Amino acid sequence: MATNTIHGNNESAQPNNIASSKQPLPPAKTVDSQSVLRRLQSELMALMMSGDSGISAFPEEDNIFFWKGTISGSKDTVFEGTEYKLSLSFPNDYPFKPPKVKFETTCFHPNVDVHGNICLDILQDKWSSAYDVRTILISIQSLLGEPNISSPLNPQAAQLWSNQEEYRKTVEKLYKSGN
Amino acid sequence: MEELNSCFFNPSILDSLSEDSLHEIIGSYNGFCDATQSLLTGNGDLSVAPDFVSHVHALCKHRLHSLVQDHFLRVLEETFERNGASRFWRHFDPYSHVAGLNKNDDLDIDEDEIQSVLYNALEEVTLEKQYQEKCLLMLVHGLQSYQDQMLEDKHDFEGERSYLTSKYQWIVSSVLMATLPRHFPVILHWYFKRKLEELSTIMDEEFCDDASQNKDGMDLDEKGKVCNKVGEMDVDECYNDHRFSENSRLVKNIGKVVLDLRNLGFTSMAEDAYASAMFLLLKAKVNDVAGDDYRSSVLQSIKSWIQAVPLQFLHALLVYLGDVVSYESTSSGLKSPLAPQPSSCCPGINTPSEGLVRWKLRLEYFAYETLQDLRIAKLFEIIVDYPESSSAIEDLKLCLEYTGQHSKLVESFISALRYRLLTAGASTNDILHQYVSTIKALRTIDPAGVFLEAVGEPIRDYLRGRRDTIKCIVTMLTDGTGGNSSSSANPGDSLLEELNRDEEIQENAGVDDDFNSDDRQAWINAMRWQPDPVEADPLKGSRNQRKVDILGMIVGIIGSKDQLVHEYRTMLAEKLLNKSDYDIDSEIRTLELLKIHFGESSLQKCEIMLNDLIGSKRTNSNIKATISQLPQTSVEVGDSAIISMDVISATIISSNFWPPIQDEPLNLPEPVDRLLSDYAKRFSEIKTPRKLQWKKSLGTIKLELQFQDREMQFTVAPVHASIIMKFQDQPSWTAKNLAAAIGIPADALNRRINFWISKGIITESQGEDSSDHVYNIVENMAETSKNGASAGTQDLLGGDEEEDRSVASVENQLLKEMTVYEKFIMGMLTNFGSMALDRIHNTLKMFCIADPPYDKSLQQLQSFLSGLVSEEKLELRDGMYFLKK
Repeated sequence: MATNTIHGNNESAQPNNIASSKQPLPPAKTVDSQSVLRRLQSELMALMMSGDSGISAFPEEDNIFFWKGTISGSKDTVFEGTEYKLSLSFPNDYPFKPPKVKFETTCFHPNVDVHGNICLDILQDKWSSAYDVRTILISIQSLLGEPNISSPLNPQAAQLWSNQEEYRKTVEKLYKSGN
Repeated sequence: MEELNSCFFNPSILDSLSEDSLHEIIGSYNGFCDATQSLLTGNGDLSVAPDFVSHVHALCKHRLHSLVQDHFLRVLEETFERNGASRFWRHFDPYSHVAGLNKNDDLDIDEDEIQSVLYNALEEVTLEKQYQEKCLLMLVHGLQSYQDQMLEDKHDFEGERSYLTSKYQWIVSSVLMATLPRHFPVILHWYFKRKLEELSTIMDEEFCDDASQNKDGMDLDEKGKVCNKVGEMDVDECYNDHRFSENSRLVKNIGKVVLDLRNLGFTSMAEDAYASAMFLLLKAKVNDVAGDDYRSSVLQSIKSWIQAVPLQFLHALLVYLGDVVSYESTSSGLKSPLAPQPSSCCPGINTPSEGLVRWKLRLEYFAYETLQDLRIAKLFEIIVDYPESSSAIEDLKLCLEYTGQHSKLVESFISALRYRLLTAGASTNDILHQYVSTIKALRTIDPAGVFLEAVGEPIRDYLRGRRDTIKCIVTMLTDGTGGNSSSSANPGDSLLEELNRDEEIQENAGVDDDFNSDDRQAWINAMRWQPDPVEADPLKGSRNQRKVDILGMIVGIIGSKDQLVHEYRTMLAEKLLNKSDYDIDSEIRTLELLKIHFGESSLQKCEIMLNDLIGSKRTNSNIKATISQLPQTSVEVGDSAIISMDVISATIISSNFWPPIQDEPLNLPEPVDRLLSDYAKRFSEIKTPRKLQWKKSLGTIKLELQFQDREMQFTVAPVHASIIMKFQDQPSWTAKNLAAAIGIPADALNRRINFWISKGIITESQGEDSSDHVYNIVENMAETSKNGASAGTQDLLGGDEEEDRSVASVENQLLKEMTVYEKFIMGMLTNFGSMALDRIHNTLKMFCIADPPYDKSLQQLQSFLSGLVSEEKLELRDGMYFLKK
């Protein structure tokens, strides 16, 4: 099983290799993907054992570099009672680069655009290899309740945020039509 | 007959007859009838003979000899029916009640009486028959003399005579058969049984004598009578003179009866009777010899008994009959139509031997079958005492080779297993022992392992359902005594031995491989190939894969060697942690053997554990060496005792490689604690940067308790020692305070302190507070001796409960593993909604890289999932699993 995964990884790594000519020798690359694999596996293990409520993620069937995530809205926020699907895609040089995280379910939120892209600093310039899947999910969960209104991706949502009651109604309407 | 027909039914011939000749015919026919009547009914009075002959001549003149013959035979038949048969049967009338009895029952009839009745009856009927034969001969002579007179073409006199005699024989046997009462065969059977028993006792003695004497081949030839060469058969037994005469008298008696019966047309009935008597005797003999003793091989002795007794008898009988037949065959023509095969009535040297060979084969087959049935019925017991009963197994093997009834064995043994072994009452250990013995025993019978496969299947299935199977197997594997029930267990069953053997096999296998590269060897192997027995199940692979390997079959019960290794590791840990010396020689040896069988890598952790022990020993002595140079090496305990660091031996383990260790918090007595931290300090000085962390609840402590009137020694767990030490400062404690002082929960304290209460050292009483108990130390034994508490040196390890194990049991570990899987399953279902069983299985296999990795089968997962469904954590709809919302 493990060899399969490594194989898949190598294939997806190739375009990158071609793009940057200053790639290390192939053996080193294998060692790298091995360690990425181990890191992702141990993150999965930690996430499974942590038992945090409201966040979850799991690799897709045969590729540990693509995960599906699930976040439920925290209590006492307008997102309470909703559940959002995410997709996480890990680069080959994870954890030195952040994963690409997108909402798969439509999410009416100031920092999430219609395509599901998220504006979150730790997923861009503030990324550190100390973060892991669990902290990403927790951050996104808390982002739902505490949006950054100053740099919105969805201005309509940012405007409506001040009216929590209206906002809640919009969220519910969108959530129902989305499902 | 055709001649006759033409005589009677051709009216033209009738017309040609003159009145005179007609008168002559009628006259001589009447005379002939009268003469016949008087001849046959008259008691041996032959005075009418000339008259009779002349009448015959007269009738023959008119070509009426067929009429003569027919009439004569009819009268003969009537007479025999009246005089011979009915009288003969009347002899046996008193015994008519035996007809309903079973053949095997003993008849409560006077033995001599029935014997003499049989003799008399046979004598009488034979006499009658002989007389009638004489009359018949007279007729034949009459016919012959007429033909001589007529000087016609030589009539086939011999043919005529044999025609008439065989016709007569027909008449006799059909008359007897037609009137045969039902009890006659029973009487015959009984008679032969009696006689054979008598004979066998005589011959048995002789046989025993022979066994002790050296057989003298020369003597045989002088005995003339039985020295026929009978092929490779060695029926020529020594005859002692006096016995021989006795034997031959007996045999002659029997022979005469057989002969008489044969003359009466009872050939097959007689043969049936003595054959069944012989088989009965043989069966009794086999039962007698084989009995319930499985320690010695009986087949050989049964075979020689067959040689010595029944074959001897048959030989003598056949020779006797053959002798008689040789001169009588010309006159009486014994070929009864009722004898299906005249196996023994022909004289000569070769024919009896052929008959004997056939008999020998029949008898031996019967013996084999009887013994085989006997052994198969008792196979369970035989296997229970297997190593001792190996000769019985050998016998059974030979029998089965002869009879080929292996399937009988399999069926019978499986049902015995189900009935007697695979029940809730049988301990797993016993089942395993029986399984091992079964493997060993059946390996002898059937080296290819075909039947073993069939027989082992129910045992394996059953064992898989037991929870302690793995544990028992590992104990058997590693423990030289072979299991927990050490006293009753058989050392021959130890799997450790099997491991040793395996080692040798592996060495040999290496040699074999080298040879196999040689073409010649390959050719030899190919020549040695034998097809599987027909009973082999073609689905179960060929013989190569079915090599009988006890360890393989045992591991097969568990499923995977990983599970076995895992259990072994747990048990090894338990054992090592309880050791107070560092003596691990036997463990090392076992591990080496296991490594050969299961591979080095899978046992790596176990090896590290053993290395830890070796390292501990070295470190321990190092630390003690440095300490002896330092001033403060001992602490005072209480007022009198002083503990020096010398008494501490630490087992230092690399906990990553050990199974999870159960650690309970425990406050050791302060001086001991200080000693331990001193020890740890020394350790970190020697082994920087490593540090020692004590598992204070583990280990053993030897202590000596001094009371006013007695001293006692114990080997106990630390928690027990801590408890008793608290009573040194203060003779009475409440449960709550004591628990707080030791740092364990109150209920744990209650459990632990029972040890001391049971020893009569501490008493328990109700305190002022009803929820609290008070414990008091018993200083003076005399006060409590009436309680019957045992005193004296006890070398009992305090740990008697499941919780006292130092290492988490495999079940607990399994439970832990399963919770990991549960979390994974929850995780994947949260993100993927619904999943089918095999997708869950595959996903777990791929991503659940816990320690140990996911290694469950699809079935195990399914049962686990259905457990979660019943806990209402999951839902199962259309083969898909969902989270229960």
